[in-house]
Amino acid sequence: MDVVVDNVTQVWGGENGVTALDSFSHRFRSRRFSCILGPSGCGKSTLIQIVGGLEEATSGTVRVVDPTHPDAVRRLGSDSVMVWQNLNLFPWRSVIDNVVFGLEMRGVARSVRYERAHALIASVGLQGFENHRPGQLSGGMRQRVALARALIMERAILLMDEPFAALDAQTKIVMQEELLRIFDATHKTVLFVTHAIDEAILLGDEVVVMTARPGRIKEVIPVELPRPRSLEMINSPEFGGLFDRVFHLIRDEVMKTMQQQAAKAVA
Amino acid sequence: MSRHAGRSTTRWAEATLPALTVVLFLLAWEVMVRWRGIAPIFLPPPSSIAVYLWRMIADGTMEYHLGVTLLRIFAGFLLAAVSGIALGVLMGMSRVVARVADVWIAALYPLPKISLIPLLIIWLGTGEAYRIVISAVTAFFPIVISTYSGIRQADRGLTKAAKDLGANTRQIQMKVIIPAAMPSILSGLQLGMGVTIILIVAAEMIGGSSQSGMGYLLINSGQVMETEKVFASLVVLAVMGAVIIKLQQWIDRKVAPWAMQDDR
Repeated sequence: MDVVVDNVTQVWGGENGVTALDSFSHRFRSRRFSCILGPSGCGKSTLIQIVGGLEEATSGTVRVVDPTHPDAVRRLGSDSVMVWQNLNLFPWRSVIDNVVFGLEMRGVARSVRYERAHALIASVGLQGFENHRPGQLSGGMRQRVALARALIMERAILLMDEPFAALDAQTKIVMQEELLRIFDATHKTVLFVTHAIDEAILLGDEVVVMTARPGRIKEVIPVELPRPRSLEMINSPEFGGLFDRVFHLIRDEVMKTMQQQAAKAVA
Repeated sequence: MSRHAGRSTTRWAEATLPALTVVLFLLAWEVMVRWRGIAPIFLPPPSSIAVYLWRMIADGTMEYHLGVTLLRIFAGFLLAAVSGIALGVLMGMSRVVARVADVWIAALYPLPKISLIPLLIIWLGTGEAYRIVISAVTAFFPIVISTYSGIRQADRGLTKAAKDLGANTRQIQMKVIIPAAMPSILSGLQLGMGVTIILIVAAEMIGGSSQSGMGYLLINSGQVMETEKVFASLVVLAVMGAVIIKLQQWIDRKVAPWAMQDDR
């Protein structure tokens, strides 16, 4: 599924409000891993929520296009599923009941949904924890629950909003490898929001670098590292070159954000 | 080693000191009453209160009055819980209901409910209806307010996540918002139970035609200067309150274990 974002602008708080996103246009290609990178407040979370049909854009359109049936109209949100920055697991539900949530809402028979959930829980390495509540798990394990809850939906598009931002460095590495493995196995279309340059390059087929607020596209950088990717690639000269390029693009924007915040603090 | 020993001493102290203070207090009371020769009508010693308590249990008076009071408490509480949760949920789901109910709650909540007793006696007489209504009306408010605020404060992130996973509006209400409000509803029920106990006992003291219940027992024993019986009734009331609260906390832990501190 391609995600075609056309001239999307998002303004919070009416006429004279804050412009979070400004005329964002990009075609996210089918079965590719796209990372959206930018300083905080650049509207990247807003963008993927609009793509997921969870926020209404102030202006502009988002279409999901099946490349084999380019004329079919698809309802926004029906081809995608979100993995949230703060996970949004249901604290009163056990691991397995969190994972089956989407199927339960869809009315899938109990035995079918539990069977599928068991398989997915095993595949993300959580067997034995089916009946724990999220509050009883570590951060990395909760992350796996959130991933399984999204994957069970079998949607073509995976929207990920800084999913690993809250994890410690080691857990983050493990989860990145896990995600690479899942991507190689399923080849979903992934839109992955992050503010970590190395993460964006390691995971992505392209890095969409955004400007400070209002968020526009600064540059789209293709990442041609071979797949399957592995963590060792971080030491390659190609990776280093890409990192430098992205770093210089993003540094100016981070400086701008800091100046904006300083100006706001003075005013 | 020493740290370990220190911890176990603290644990021992935590386990025994509360009980020890009670024993010491009773002992001091007993000694003082006997030593100063205080008249039992004014302050009976704990030993004779215990004797009276035992007699009242043995002849069944205590069980009778306690049973009647418990029944009234549960009737009033049930009425308040059902109506309070129902209205709170409706307020949470419908802006119109919330607006309308808010006016009435704002006007009636600060009113001391005991001040309604004369009116209720005029309307309902001094029978069961009056006692149950006064306690239910009082417990109703904290339950409605906690239910409504629990529903309103349900995490927006969770409702968005549910929507993303394909839940419709009704499913979001039933499967997300109400469970998310559960801890708040339960704390409203705890507050409600507390005031139900107070109001039932108070109502039994005022104008009770049925001549039953712990409140009646207290006021009647006081009027005939049987101070030992007053104290015996107070002891039973205190134990009853403690048991009800512990039971409620136990039920809360079963119903909403995720809301407890030790879940983290």
